[in-house]
Amino acid sequence: MFEEYAKYIDEGTLNELKQLAKELKGVRILHVNSTKHGGGVAEILHRMVPLMNELGIETHWEVIRGNVEFFKVTKKIHNLLHMPGRETLSHQDVITYMRQTYENVSHIDTDYYDVVFIHDPQPLGLIVKKKQGQRWIWRCHIDISTPDEEVWKFLEMFVNGYDGSIFHIPEFVREGVQIPAFIIPPSIDPIHDKNRELDEGFIKSTLERFGIDPERPIVLQVSRFDRLKDPIGVIEAYRMVKRRYDCQLVLAGSFADDDPEGAEVYREVMEAKGDDQDIFVLNLPPDSHREINALQRSATVVVQKSIREGFGLVVSEAMWKYKPVIGSNIGGIRRQIINGVTGYLVNSIEGTAFRVKQLLANPKDREEMGRNAHERVRHSFLITRHIKDYLLVVYKLLKS
Amino acid sequence: MSTFVFKSELWTAQYTGLRVNTVASFMRALHEVDDDTIYYHLYRNLFEYHFLPTDYGNSFAYWLAENGFPVLAEKFSAIDLMECVCIADIRAEMLKILHSGVDGFERLCKPFYFIRAIRKVVDTGTVANSLEEFREGIKKVGIHSLFYHLVTSRLVHGEPVNDFSRWLRSMGEEEKAEKIERIDLMAYSLYDVRDMILNYLES
Repeated sequence: MFEEYAKYIDEGTLNELKQLAKELKGVRILHVNSTKHGGGVAEILHRMVPLMNELGIETHWEVIRGNVEFFKVTKKIHNLLHMPGRETLSHQDVITYMRQTYENVSHIDTDYYDVVFIHDPQPLGLIVKKKQGQRWIWRCHIDISTPDEEVWKFLEMFVNGYDGSIFHIPEFVREGVQIPAFIIPPSIDPIHDKNRELDEGFIKSTLERFGIDPERPIVLQVSRFDRLKDPIGVIEAYRMVKRRYDCQLVLAGSFADDDPEGAEVYREVMEAKGDDQDIFVLNLPPDSHREINALQRSATVVVQKSIREGFGLVVSEAMWKYKPVIGSNIGGIRRQIINGVTGYLVNSIEGTAFRVKQLLANPKDREEMGRNAHERVRHSFLITRHIKDYLLVVYKLLKS
Repeated sequence: MSTFVFKSELWTAQYTGLRVNTVASFMRALHEVDDDTIYYHLYRNLFEYHFLPTDYGNSFAYWLAENGFPVLAEKFSAIDLMECVCIADIRAEMLKILHSGVDGFERLCKPFYFIRAIRKVVDTGTVANSLEEFREGIKKVGIHSLFYHLVTSRLVHGEPVNDFSRWLRSMGEEEKAEKIERIDLMAYSLYDVRDMILNYLES
């Protein structure tokens, strides 16, 4: 499988990864998360686990069990860590979480491993199984810098039992985390359907399927239907652009049937679209990877105007496809875009419109920024870099 | 004849827990942080962005610029890392720049997060016993390896000469060694540097 990556990364870099892995020969690693399918964590583990095995490091992946009640509680914990204030964690919630955690303790074998990666808060409580000599790492994929205090008090005792933690960016680290906090951004996989090259025929037919004109400029935002992604703001920016530039706006995303907020936002977006035939609001099934890929490849300019963002890897996905991205000057987005070099960082609807116009008017700038964007991702946001970082953390913790 | 062993240095990042939001507290932190933290913000940045035309050369400079200290940002950016053989010198240079600075050091800025580099040197498995093998090695190893031998190992050994030039001199190749030494590593991408070295070796 590694050979497939040789096309994207120089041989020397792949070789260094293999050399690093040799120094960890015999180390056994386990990843634990809450789902096998859906979401960025599962997506990356599907590829990372076989790659680590190919490097000669025995790596396994387990998924915790849980009933609907348990996952309701963990969803609440997630929300309260990410955005406090809308709900509270009840005594019954704590009981539900602990009861399920102890069930998982009995069905997941962690004793066999030297290093255990626990992803996100759902399986956090498994730390009670930690044996002497093992190294346990909490990989946190969300922003916990300003959590709900009660929830944090509950989770803190688990977190500080780990040997190390990993966050996307330092801004996401909660003050008071007493264990080493490593900073490792997420990554994209160049050979995933989302990112691999597509033939022109498929790209064209995808546009035709949605009624998008391939001959006219396309401004694209890919995101779920969520107010935090500010789709209405994107429509407003597009309208400012449209006064002088012929273009189409594509808002592509999805919402699940059980996501009432998603449906509500979708309705709001449709209302804002009105009868504008050049706005395409696409609610796609969650596995529409090739379609999203095609839309990104056919876009003239890509926008990511989020108000708040976990990391916003969709930015790197577009950059990988040689697209300059105009993104909000926040969190993970500002780590990916280098202002004026790989795209633009903006702080308002007006700023977004201004930069979209600049890029629509200047194909040479688009081309140059797109090239820079691709190189930036190749250098810093591919899965091989992610594996290298994990191996270094494992090395560091095992030797300490 | 001496053997050249191609090594490489890989690194990841660890948050130090130190966050500052004024230039005054930034100065105090610069006194305190360990060498690997200075290394991260200067050298890792040089590596991270070597192929892109960025406005400034390191994250200290970016932060100063973003917070309304463009002169300091330019001065920080212009620190020639190739002229320094130890982090202590660079630290002193940065503090000297800040001491000669302007007003507003207590003004509230956006936070700056100090990150430490977790560094690990690995053998690449490539060695050279002749000029020909050396050239093949330069072609084969990754840019991390070039960075290590040209930049980082100078800090490790506390010497102004890079590993490639030192070995070439030991092989009697003074002119080639000299040419490699003169490459401005702050200005070229490592891909360009590789091509330049290969050209010098072939000449």
